[in-house]
Amino acid sequence: MDKAILKVEELSVRFGALTAVKRVGFEAQRGHITSVIGPNGAGKSSLFNLISGAIRPMEGRVLFDGRDTTGFNAVQMVSAGLSRSFQITNLFFELSVHENLRLAAQFIEHGRGLFLPTQRSRLANNRVDELLERFALRSRADELAGYLSHGEQRRLEIATALACNPKMLLLDEPTQGMSLTDTQETEALIKELASDDLSILLVEHDVELVMNISDHVVVMHQGEKLAEGTPLEVRANPQVQAAYFGEVRGHAHA
Amino acid sequence: MGEFSRPASSKQINSLRLLAVLFFAISCVFAFIATVVEDVFFLRLATEAMIFGGLALSVDLLLGITGLLPLGQALFFGFGAYAAALILKNWTVSIWLVLLACMLSSALVGLVAGLIAIRSKGVYFALISFGLAQVVSKIVFNTVELGASDGIIGVPNAQILPGLSSGQPTVFFLFALMFIALVYSLLNYLMKTPYGRQLIAIKANEHRVAFLGFNTWRFKLSAFVLAASIAGTSGALYPMLRGFVSPELMFFQVSGNAIINVIVGGTGTLIGPLYGSALLTGLRSVVGSFTPHHQLVIGVLFMIVVILFPRGIIGYLAPMLDRRCQKGQGTVQQEARGG
Amino acid sequence: MAEALEWMQYVLAPQVINGASIGVAVVLMALGLTIIFGLLDVINMAHGEFYAMGAYAAVILIAIGIPFWWALLLTPLFMAVVGYAVERTLIQRVFHSKDRHTLTLLLTFGLAIVLEDVLKIAFGANPMRIETPIGGSIEVFGLFFPNYRMFVMGMGSAIVAAVWIFIFRTRVGAIVRAAAFDRHMTASLGVPVNKVYALTFALGVALAGIAGVLLAPIYSVFPTMGRDFVLIAFSVVIIGGMGSIKGAVIAGLLLTQIQSISSLYISPVWSDPLLFGCMVLVLMWRPQGLFGRLGHG
Repeated sequence: MDKAILKVEELSVRFGALTAVKRVGFEAQRGHITSVIGPNGAGKSSLFNLISGAIRPMEGRVLFDGRDTTGFNAVQMVSAGLSRSFQITNLFFELSVHENLRLAAQFIEHGRGLFLPTQRSRLANNRVDELLERFALRSRADELAGYLSHGEQRRLEIATALACNPKMLLLDEPTQGMSLTDTQETEALIKELASDDLSILLVEHDVELVMNISDHVVVMHQGEKLAEGTPLEVRANPQVQAAYFGEVRGHAHA
Repeated sequence: MGEFSRPASSKQINSLRLLAVLFFAISCVFAFIATVVEDVFFLRLATEAMIFGGLALSVDLLLGITGLLPLGQALFFGFGAYAAALILKNWTVSIWLVLLACMLSSALVGLVAGLIAIRSKGVYFALISFGLAQVVSKIVFNTVELGASDGIIGVPNAQILPGLSSGQPTVFFLFALMFIALVYSLLNYLMKTPYGRQLIAIKANEHRVAFLGFNTWRFKLSAFVLAASIAGTSGALYPMLRGFVSPELMFFQVSGNAIINVIVGGTGTLIGPLYGSALLTGLRSVVGSFTPHHQLVIGVLFMIVVILFPRGIIGYLAPMLDRRCQKGQGTVQQEARGG
Repeated sequence: MAEALEWMQYVLAPQVINGASIGVAVVLMALGLTIIFGLLDVINMAHGEFYAMGAYAAVILIAIGIPFWWALLLTPLFMAVVGYAVERTLIQRVFHSKDRHTLTLLLTFGLAIVLEDVLKIAFGANPMRIETPIGGSIEVFGLFFPNYRMFVMGMGSAIVAAVWIFIFRTRVGAIVRAAAFDRHMTASLGVPVNKVYALTFALGVALAGIAGVLLAPIYSVFPTMGRDFVLIAFSVVIIGGMGSIKGAVIAGLLLTQIQSISSLYISPVWSDPLLFGCMVLVLMWRPQGLFGRLGHG
């Protein structure tokens, strides 16, 4: 089996005159946490959308789990084993927490029991129980997702993406808007999630979190890949320091 | 955060079931009384309410469950009515065969229409379904073979069982009631399955459903076909009741009335549209006996509901009943949630 | 060759002119719909009834002895007041809810039912007529054009141009576009956004009213006259792209030409299905219509 689960080659997309992603390429290894960082407007979200099938690339290729998945749509990507969360919480706010997870977990039934009562989907229901436990949402199971606190909604967002039992999980700024405690808990959770069966691709604003948990870091700047390597290598890279850390530090102090 | 209306799948389920049982119980009592006093007018009117209730159910499946606003559901209703009228005029067959034929053929028509309409989203879908019905009704209106503007008259009664026919008011009312109960039970059951829940999810957040790995187009198209089939089969009962069909059955007024029935009754509750259909069919008849301008009354009533009670009668009654029940049991937590 | 010329002169040209004069009125209707949608996100199902109201307003004014030309000026003013009132008293009430699209559509649909019945009660179901204010025809290159239809075309084009200039070239138009683009931002700049919305709705309704007056001498006036006409206008708006002014103008002229030229060859019964077929084809190719939305690039 190929060591790399995701290979991105020369990926580009333009929106009108703006080239959001310009010939970006990198590999994500199986079981690793790979992170993409970069200042606002660096093209991280567009890159994520390209990989997860939300938008189609104009050039380049995406290879996932040994298949060419270039131009796959979202449904096809989930079927291939790649699932994603969203930066702006994207849940079924009018449905209960349990129902949010059950809808997502139904995928692992592969169309079985579609017309039988939901209780009959044993696999999916077990998966929901597992996730409620793991994400500490058990006590909130019957609550409407719209009534959860922000931290809880962010947790549910990750749990929903995980419910289809993917080979790779794309997390789009999972700690966005979280309190410090919540962020630390999420950091531990992400670290725990990564395993031989689950690789993680992370887009994150919180550089410290990324440096703590990533195996491999890709730095983007103005739509292009600026550097990549281990957290230590990236931290030491003078180009990265100039383009990225300088700016972030500057913002933090301002 | 009070803007979330609870869908049929959550806590309302108990009071909704109660209201459903009540609806069918009242209908049976009504049939009994009407038969004893040998009434025909009100039995026929109630049968009509049931038939338009079927159309309202099909609208609710799309509008209340799947989140698609169909402005041309009369297309399928009218198609079923014409198909049934043509079959009954040309062949002597039992009602079961007629309904089966109408169910399948209107599903097929629904598939064709769905392939055109489901491609587009939101208001585009609404306007395309509107246009489709408008165009087909115009064609029917101008087709001499289908009786043009006169429609088809003199449709004979259909045999239900030996000795029972659609011409007997009580028998046909009970038949229509049974048909509606069947459709209601089917839809109610579907809402308990992953299939129905996906439809609800599509209404809540279609974008996310795709990222859960489900092809929303297939779900929407299948719901559209099912709704067309329900509307068509309901329509098939119309010529058996009234003995004629006319192009008006496909006109926007019929689609519009179905939507009014659904909104006034309670969108997404399934039983609400049946209450709405019964109440408004009655109201139209009562007001219609005083003035030819009953649409004015219905229109004003409808606007008041849209502005002040967008959840409809059942949409307000059901949570209220729920709170009552929970107060009885003393569960404070759930009561707070119900508000 | 001579036959072809004759065909063009006596068959095709009058058809094109007829189509264009109706086309301009369709564009006015579609313009109202598309502006209301582009800015307020409201599908105005009562647009056809506002068109009928415009025509009846002209009927009344002329009946009490006011000349047609004054009616042409007064009707849109009256309709603008009606539109403003409808927006403030009805649409505002459901405008801020989550299901805005559906609720506003349903509300205007309810309004359409009520207005239609009100017109029936007030005027009866029988058609009425307005005398054509300019009779006769003019001759250009050996072709005869009815004067009134030429006037409709000229007047309509002038109004379309005025609306265009108003929205894209004036300060008020810029505010309107800004309110469509970002309501909160515009409100924070001190613009009374709710009034801007109501005025825009009023403008859309006034345009429907003008279309009603302009076509009243050509067609007869009856309570349900808006039904078929609004279907064409909706097709135009969908094909042109909901909210696009350019789209409404181009699609409006194009569709009415297709309709009027095709009626030389096929029965008018099939003209609606033909329009609808065009609409479906366009939507298959471009699901959002030909042009983008007003204020949204």
